[in-house]
Amino acid sequence: MNEEEVKNFFSKTIADNEDFSVGVVAIMTLMKIIENYKDTTIRGLDDNLREGIAAMKTLDLPVTAINSGCELFMRFITLAKLDYKSFEECRKTMLERGEIFLNKLHQSRDKIVKLATKFIVDGSKVLTHSRSRVVLKTFIEASRQKKQFEVYVTQSAPDNSGEIMCKNLEAEGISCTLILDSAIGYVMEQVNFVMVGAEGVVESGGIVNKVGSYTMAVCAREMKKPFYVLTESFKFSRLFPLNQSDLPEEYKYTSSSKKEKDFKKVHPLVDYTPPSYITLLFTDLGILTPSAVSDELIQLYL
Amino acid sequence: MEKKDLKVNGDGLSKKQRRALKVQEKLKVQNNAVNTKENSPNCQVEKKQESKKSKTAERTEVKPSTQLTEKELRKLEWEKKLAAQKGEDGEKNKGLTKAELRAQRREQQEAQRHAKAATKPEQKPQQEPVELKKPLAANKTPPKKIEKKKHPEMRRLQIVSHLYAEAPLNNTIVNYKNVHPAFVRLGVQYSTKKILGSNARCRALLIAVKCLINDLQTPPKQEFCRYLEQILQSGVDYLQSCRAFAVSMSNALRHFKLKLQEATTLDDSDKKETLLNNINTYISEEIDKAGEAINAHRQKKQFEVIVVDGRPFLEGRQMLQRLAHIGIHCSYVQINAISYVMGLATKVLLGAHALLTNGFVMSRIGTSQVALVAQAYNKPVLVCCETYKFSERGQTDSFVYNELGDGDMLTSVDTLEETSPLIQTRNDSNLQILNLLYDVTPPDLITAVVTELAILPCTSAPVVLRIKPTDLLNFKI
Repeated sequence: MNEEEVKNFFSKTIADNEDFSVGVVAIMTLMKIIENYKDTTIRGLDDNLREGIAAMKTLDLPVTAINSGCELFMRFITLAKLDYKSFEECRKTMLERGEIFLNKLHQSRDKIVKLATKFIVDGSKVLTHSRSRVVLKTFIEASRQKKQFEVYVTQSAPDNSGEIMCKNLEAEGISCTLILDSAIGYVMEQVNFVMVGAEGVVESGGIVNKVGSYTMAVCAREMKKPFYVLTESFKFSRLFPLNQSDLPEEYKYTSSSKKEKDFKKVHPLVDYTPPSYITLLFTDLGILTPSAVSDELIQLYL
Repeated sequence: MEKKDLKVNGDGLSKKQRRALKVQEKLKVQNNAVNTKENSPNCQVEKKQESKKSKTAERTEVKPSTQLTEKELRKLEWEKKLAAQKGEDGEKNKGLTKAELRAQRREQQEAQRHAKAATKPEQKPQQEPVELKKPLAANKTPPKKIEKKKHPEMRRLQIVSHLYAEAPLNNTIVNYKNVHPAFVRLGVQYSTKKILGSNARCRALLIAVKCLINDLQTPPKQEFCRYLEQILQSGVDYLQSCRAFAVSMSNALRHFKLKLQEATTLDDSDKKETLLNNINTYISEEIDKAGEAINAHRQKKQFEVIVVDGRPFLEGRQMLQRLAHIGIHCSYVQINAISYVMGLATKVLLGAHALLTNGFVMSRIGTSQVALVAQAYNKPVLVCCETYKFSERGQTDSFVYNELGDGDMLTSVDTLEETSPLIQTRNDSNLQILNLLYDVTPPDLITAVVTELAILPCTSAPVVLRIKPTDLLNFKI
């Protein structure tokens, strides 16, 4: 598959599967590349995959999830190239493993939802930021369990994804209020806890998420409200930012805004929330404290 | 006795015991007044004949303790003997003044003992084990050494009293027949702080072990490895007495002993070589490579370094010299200026002596202060630490385990011409000088630990420790 094909397939799959996370779609695209690969050299396949990843990153989508998903895939699925002699055999195992991996990923969201719904109790008020599929699913599941709760959603500029989130929630009959980003401090004192998703989880146990999450976390800490993060474990990435400026540029800016030379005038899309502000992370590996994230990562990569 | 009581008090006594001690002390004061008549003749005798005194004391003491078990009785007798020996040694070795001092102290102790025996015999069994702790612990060292340690006790801080165990060995002549000369030299270098820093100490130790293996002649009818282990142990004991081991050193030694056990199956001639190779690889892999991996500054990055230094070792000067030598822009300040300088820095890089399981970082004294100021200024704190310095110990304050430096290092000022006023007063019994070598920094002050494996939050230390032994296992296969 050439670059154009990869991009087309990627955007099409995202459009078709509204429910899939970008990282999962990226992995699906990589699988597609392996399937359609015509030559018979491992080296060539490897190069093709890398080109595919680079192509996906040029699209105007959050790079964080694509990055960590692809890194995991490259590390564990394509490891098969070391074990098998013939190319066909190797391709077969890669696809098999990839399939298992994808299945696992699809199930991971349900696991998180199961864990997180217990934390929503009758009469609770929840604040959330932007739109996250796993948070949305958790709210829906909780309302199906006939729990009465209220959700505050930030508008979350610049793409106003909070408005979509609000519509989705209302469609499910969950009472929700859209608030301004600048009203976080005002609302914080009435909510019981904060629940957000994440684009990526870094090694320190902190998260990379839609810009504004950090503000919310600082606010929550000040008012002593728990700050929960819902995230799949494939979003764990090997990155250790110490502050906001340490985040890679490709995470912070879309590829279209990269054309501008002066980044100072462009707003970043994501920010980094340090682990000390996070109460708990709900993942498919279980409910983790931020420090446990690095433990999991060590076990994965070392 | 009173001296001892106080000392033990600083240790881990239960609250109940401590309360009991307090009650006793009150009673003593009352009883002393009552019993003065009985005691005074006794005391005069004691001054002249100390050995007799201990016997009289025994008599008075044994009576109330008839309920005691045989074991405890034996302990008591042992204590008596020790006390008697001390007295004799003291008279021979030291001047009259000290002997007198000691006699006076003993006088007091005796008085208390009488008081106790007279009024509160039922308290004895509870009291006894506490008192006995000291002589039992001292069992291993010959009594002469105890005598030497006794005197500086006068100015010991109670809170760290358990740390004073190491005797200053600088002036004792080494006549251990089993200690290799390389170890003796090393011991002196350690104790005079010629070799400083846990990396350097570890490296020096391993080189000494190499030396030992090279020179070792196995006596007939002895197995090489066993013999080596034995010799090594005596050497290590000697080094321990010079200065307590660093975590890195004990880890390295443990690794070496593991290899030694593996080597038992090999030929004698091969053994030496394999062991030497093992040490060489350990040095290169664990220490040097770790250093290289961590050191990322050869990448032509533009940066400035502020070296913060503190007394008494002023190790920062060496650091400064090296940095300036390779052409890095540096500034040098004392730790007093830390709060001003912290505003100028973007991040803080620290070294470490050891990383403990609970995430605390043990490091040269002053480190936690720097970390604290960095936190106040919201600057990220990075600790650079090779994974062989990870320790399975856990510690939350600097007093539980630490090393004491020479108190005189603090009283003398080497940068000024005039002598410090403290030097004249250092023999004052009201002055207590505490020179701790290390401190511990809590994990919430540390952003990350940079190791050769990865950058980790310092709470991940147990995971690394868990992984390490499995690494070793894999290495074997």
